[in-house]
Amino acid sequence: MNRRQFVRDVLLWSAGLSLGVPCFEGAGISAASAPPQLGVASGKDYRLLVAKAVEAIGGIKAFVKNGDKVVIKPNMGWDRTPELGANTHPLVVRAIAELALDAGAAVVQVFDHTCNEKRRCYASSGIIDELEKIGDKRIHWEHIDPRKFVPVDIANGKSLKRWEIYQDALTADCYINVPIAKHHGLSRLSLGLKNVMGVLGGNRGQLHQNLGQDLADLATVIRPRLTVIDATRMLLRNGPQGGRVEDVKVADMVIAGADPVAVDAYATTLFGLQPEAIDSTVAAYKMGLGEIDVQRMQVLTVQV
Amino acid sequence: MRKGENGRSKSGSHYRKWIFLRRFSQMVFLILFFVLFLKTDYNGTDHLDAAVNLLFRLDPFVAACVMLGVKSFIILLLPALAVLLLTAIFGRGFCGWFCPMGTLLDLTSKITPAKDRKNHTYYPNLPLIILVFALFASACGFAIAGFVDPFSLLVRGMAQAFYPLLNRLTVGFFTFTYQELPAVVNQVTEPVYGVLQAFILPSGQKYFHLATLSLLMLVAIFLLEGLQRRFFCRNICPLGALLGTIGRKALVTGKGGNSECGACRLCCSKCRMGAIDAERKIAMANCNLCFECMQKCPRQIIDFAVVAPWSTNSSTSLSRRHFVGAALVGVLLPSVKGVEMLAKNPDPTLIRPPGARAEKEFLARCVRCAECIQVCLGNALQPAFLQVGFDGMFSPVIAARSGYCEFNCTLCGQVCPTGAIRELTLSEKHRLKIGHAWFDKNICLPYAKGVPCMVCEEHCPTPDKAIRFKEIEVINHVGVTVRVQQPYIVDELCIGCGICENKCPLPGKAAVYITSAGEDRHPNAFLPSAGETPYGG
Repeated sequence: MNRRQFVRDVLLWSAGLSLGVPCFEGAGISAASAPPQLGVASGKDYRLLVAKAVEAIGGIKAFVKNGDKVVIKPNMGWDRTPELGANTHPLVVRAIAELALDAGAAVVQVFDHTCNEKRRCYASSGIIDELEKIGDKRIHWEHIDPRKFVPVDIANGKSLKRWEIYQDALTADCYINVPIAKHHGLSRLSLGLKNVMGVLGGNRGQLHQNLGQDLADLATVIRPRLTVIDATRMLLRNGPQGGRVEDVKVADMVIAGADPVAVDAYATTLFGLQPEAIDSTVAAYKMGLGEIDVQRMQVLTVQV
Repeated sequence: MRKGENGRSKSGSHYRKWIFLRRFSQMVFLILFFVLFLKTDYNGTDHLDAAVNLLFRLDPFVAACVMLGVKSFIILLLPALAVLLLTAIFGRGFCGWFCPMGTLLDLTSKITPAKDRKNHTYYPNLPLIILVFALFASACGFAIAGFVDPFSLLVRGMAQAFYPLLNRLTVGFFTFTYQELPAVVNQVTEPVYGVLQAFILPSGQKYFHLATLSLLMLVAIFLLEGLQRRFFCRNICPLGALLGTIGRKALVTGKGGNSECGACRLCCSKCRMGAIDAERKIAMANCNLCFECMQKCPRQIIDFAVVAPWSTNSSTSLSRRHFVGAALVGVLLPSVKGVEMLAKNPDPTLIRPPGARAEKEFLARCVRCAECIQVCLGNALQPAFLQVGFDGMFSPVIAARSGYCEFNCTLCGQVCPTGAIRELTLSEKHRLKIGHAWFDKNICLPYAKGVPCMVCEEHCPTPDKAIRFKEIEVINHVGVTVRVQQPYIVDELCIGCGICENKCPLPGKAAVYITSAGEDRHPNAFLPSAGETPYGG
């Protein structure tokens, strides 16, 4: 009931019917039961990779229910073309959108609060072009609407107590996080938890002063049902926006999982780093948001 | 119209056709003007597909001032020559049939009819004086065209005030409906908002220095319409004066009334340009071919015909004294720039758009048309106030705290009508240094407080990052020893785009800021260097 109450508060606040800032308690966070499953698919056909990785962890129907309002949050925050590895690959985004539509999503929203000029980012990323190719009216790619930022109290936040968050990300039935795996100067890597930046308002730069814990705090509120990390290309240096093909390693891999910490932890190992090297992963693990130890994950690899 | 010699009209209503055509032409060009204005925006590709700056390239006054200023022919401004040729045939038809400012003034006068019955132009010589002054001043290095050119005034007022204001009010309204009103209302309002966003509104809210001044200058022109019809055109407009100077000997010439008209001076009192005198003679230097007199004349005897230029008897209205006076002021005034403080100490924070010419030539070419300011994606370009001198007012400068120069964007160079900003290729743009970034270590968090940040490094767009960091151990602001990344600039890589200054999360003043040090457009601009050690690092 907690989430339902929260979503109602968010909508009431946006509709100006309530002055009470919505508060997310985030009950039932720690559920140390079965080991988290990860679907890891490798191969050249990126659309198929996504389908296989998701299939490995139970198929899209385990995440998207018929009639769901789905939000897909890729990283398309930079005015960079796909081969430069700064944004999620357009085919990966397209594949997830297609899966969600097949599963009976009522609407599939795709957006990102960009760092560079929004129209340039959307165009250069190639994502909009791919989404248009699907030709389904249920797909709504849209630019951020500043009216939709809602202040949210983060009840379980250790560092961050309140922030402005995009309403549609909070009220979606199914939020699918689709980051790209890449280098980042401050946090070393930008993965799933870091991708939350794209649904935040306010002065986002301020979060960098305690980035790891802030991202973990936000992860108590923004709860993707499914995270698909795009490691088809990995930006190894000069992240998070890169700009040189030499800095990109073509890894042809996609990682899917329901546990937001586990997918980040696993993706970190692809860079030759220990999961503990990433502050946000450690902080989120400590808050019981997911698994950090790759040994305790059920990794289901698929070769396409 | 061209009915030859016998004067009296046959049909009695042949003017209707011409008035209709004139109004039609005014509307078409006004709409075209608005379309081009809206098209002065990113279109989803790196290149604009329409010559959105056409209006300014058709402007012979702008062309004359700029070419005199730089003392060379500018091919971009060639279309202005066509206007001059047309003026030699049709007189000031440009003012009556084409000029969007004129059309807007005509529309305004429908709302606020002028009270003045006598219809004497207040300062009939002033436009010519301004014209002569502007031409001489431009030639001597004082670019004044943008202050008086009708299109500069119009587009500037729109780009820097009306358009952002329209957006602000519209968004404000739909924010209210969205946040305060029930879903039933939103089912109607949200689609309307969507259509407005798709076709009319800018992609985001822009903010401008001098928004109020730009607005007031334009509003004043419209308010003056209450004093006299086409007040601006008759009393100020130097473009009109230039066209009138050529158009007074135009092939198409008006034939006014005669002595048989008696006491009737309806044509004289109704003429929106004040082109008909008490003798009912039509001065083609002023007539803009609106043909309203043909309609208003009770005897229907006014007509226009093709007449050989040598047979028209029309003199200039500017006396020698006025001409010499205006020219002298134009020649002498620019010299005062030599004793402006700026001549000794140029403003170090002056960052021009990428591709801007060296400062002197840039100012000579820039006509303050605000096209670059309108097209600038990130609201980086702002109109200057007095930091570049009095004659630099309204010229574009990058204010990084307002917006940064987008790495992959070359739009400002594409819309500049005079080549004050060169059109750059993308690879040129990527390497062009328009300024240089500096850290203020007294407030930069990793230096001042030992707190991690690195937002500047994250946003630095050069593929080989111009902002890097070193990781060192410091005692932070609460006395704890921590390892922290401290940023520094790599001189050879920084292009001065200003995204670091723009995104710096400090409130108010940024801890990293750009100056014009080392900019490429001035060959002797250089960065101070302490030998092998890069400062900051």
